[in-house]
Amino acid sequence: MERRQFFKTLAGSSLLLSSNTGGFLEDLFAFQETANLSRVEARHYKKLPDREIECQLCPRHCKLGDKERGYCGVRENIGGTYYTLVYGKACAANVDPIEKKPFFHFLPGTTALSIATAGCNVNCKFCQNWQISQVRAEQVQPFDLPPQDVVANALKDYCPSISYTYTEPIIFFEYMYDTSIEAHKKGIKNCVVTGGYINQEPLLELVKVVDAIKIDLKAFSQDFYANYVRGELQPVLEAIKTVHRSKVWLELVYLVIPTLNDNTEEIKQMSQWLRAEIGPDVPLHFSRFHPMYLIQNLPPTPISTLEKIREIALSEGLHYVYIGNVPGHKAENTFCPRCQNMVIEREGFQVKKIELEGGNCKFCHNPIPGIWA
Amino acid sequence: MNEAKVVVIRGNGVFTAGGDLNQPKIVAMIQRGLQLVTGSPDVKEGLGQIFSQNDRVGIKINTIGGRKISTRPEVSLSLADLLVKSGLREKNIIVWDRTNRELKEAGYRLASNSNGLKIMATDTAGAGYETELVSHLNIGSLFSTIQTNFVTASISLAILKDHGLAGVTAGMKNYYGTIHNPNKYHDSHCNPYVAELFDTNPIKRKHRLSILDGLIVQYHRGPSYHAQWAEPCGVLIFSRDPVAADSVGWQLTEKLRAKKGLPSLKEEEREPAYLLTAEKMGLGRAGAEKVQITEDEV
Repeated sequence: MERRQFFKTLAGSSLLLSSNTGGFLEDLFAFQETANLSRVEARHYKKLPDREIECQLCPRHCKLGDKERGYCGVRENIGGTYYTLVYGKACAANVDPIEKKPFFHFLPGTTALSIATAGCNVNCKFCQNWQISQVRAEQVQPFDLPPQDVVANALKDYCPSISYTYTEPIIFFEYMYDTSIEAHKKGIKNCVVTGGYINQEPLLELVKVVDAIKIDLKAFSQDFYANYVRGELQPVLEAIKTVHRSKVWLELVYLVIPTLNDNTEEIKQMSQWLRAEIGPDVPLHFSRFHPMYLIQNLPPTPISTLEKIREIALSEGLHYVYIGNVPGHKAENTFCPRCQNMVIEREGFQVKKIELEGGNCKFCHNPIPGIWA
Repeated sequence: MNEAKVVVIRGNGVFTAGGDLNQPKIVAMIQRGLQLVTGSPDVKEGLGQIFSQNDRVGIKINTIGGRKISTRPEVSLSLADLLVKSGLREKNIIVWDRTNRELKEAGYRLASNSNGLKIMATDTAGAGYETELVSHLNIGSLFSTIQTNFVTASISLAILKDHGLAGVTAGMKNYYGTIHNPNKYHDSHCNPYVAELFDTNPIKRKHRLSILDGLIVQYHRGPSYHAQWAEPCGVLIFSRDPVAADSVGWQLTEKLRAKKGLPSLKEEEREPAYLLTAEKMGLGRAGAEKVQITEDEV
């Protein structure tokens, strides 16, 4: 860009910056600098000597000095106290079908008021929401949406649930937690869409106030987590077990990326692990990858790959295995594992038919696990 | 590869009795450093080896640490003034970092006069970050438009200090402030990210000179300020080789640590591994035997 053009752009969008008039100019900069950030004390951290802190929300355990931020970019040590910068500061709020999350066994056919703040505690190279997840708190345009307003909006839009999603809700833990409590007071359920990279203590708190959690299990390989997620596999597996042991409804998503995490032997081992640790009834969604963010050189997942992987999981005894991001595929539907009849018919995010009675298969009365109302 | 040249200038009396900075001394230190690093006794001629008259020079400073442990205005503005005196147009010089708040807290008075020296940050309305990612090795970031669109030649004028993860933060890590997501590059002790970020086109093609502000060096528990571990060293470090500059800065930090009875960074398992990575990538020379240090006092 020519220098002249650079300053034309600068002057055009920043009022009267061409005049160097001391106080007036400083006022303009003060206005521009004021990002809409919260300053609410964070939870799950430990104060250390010399104004340092250690965050205890996720396994990174960021140890931070004064003025430093954690890996997530939205929590900051200010003078020895740790603050969340995004409490009540949503950068996205939409009414989505619950199937989009995806939750297939949780309030099917309903909508969820879905909210997010900026930030994330990993850096997946295939992130589909990187413009809001892989940024710092002041790099989005947040709007004020305190917990009570989230709930009020859900009621106004007839949403029986609130979904904490799009980015990584672990990093807006306090906002999610408080909103969940408010939601329950009004009879609204809470569902969380997360990568599961969280410490046990906050997770055990969280499962007391939410109703459903969907965890993205990105691979069954620590190498993949190290190289493509910048995280760790083991804490996610622990989180899966913890959620399963709680009363919270659990579903899993596995985004299948060609050549990176589609190894059939790993899929088999993962399926065996899931069957052994959390049983056959936790829905597992194999989702189709599309080139995104920092992985632009791979093709979309072949449907045949998804089908083959699904068969592996079914053959290892998992009952509810879906294919996602392939609208119209028969594996979007729910089949009774006993009589094989279709009990929920879907097309994309739309539920077309539900053949359940009291949560049981209408045909053979086999219980189909889930939260149906 | 030939030895890399690093110049260390010590300012005798750079601090006044009251602890303030002696501005004329700083100017003299910068002049001497530029003379020695360019090999030209004429500062203007020496700077002419580095910059063309049409260059738009970005002096990237580091102001994240606040007033006590940021690139000092006395140093950066003196450097800007010398650049102007050497023939560069004042309106083509920008002293910058990522946020205006941090600049102000570090003692800078913001200015965006299109006809004069600019002191401003990426979050100035109309600047901001690019919308297209630069994807290079493990780096995937949006760059500040100041670096991509305004700057044609870059000086990294960084504060030298200990860093709890990287070992030291100096001239190369200073460029973390040019991207939108530096927080994503602190795992693995910031390695290989520091080197790989420097290796991106917006940085490598424009970087011309490293200057480390070592007037006061925080040698322990950085990057935040701790008075009990900050030593008034009174030095400025100059090099055309960004890796060598950081290596010498690291060694200075180690000497201070040893003097105070602190374990080395290696013993604390946070040696700046990014330096070796950078050398392997051909970005410069690490290792004491590959660096020629010239010391002088003003």
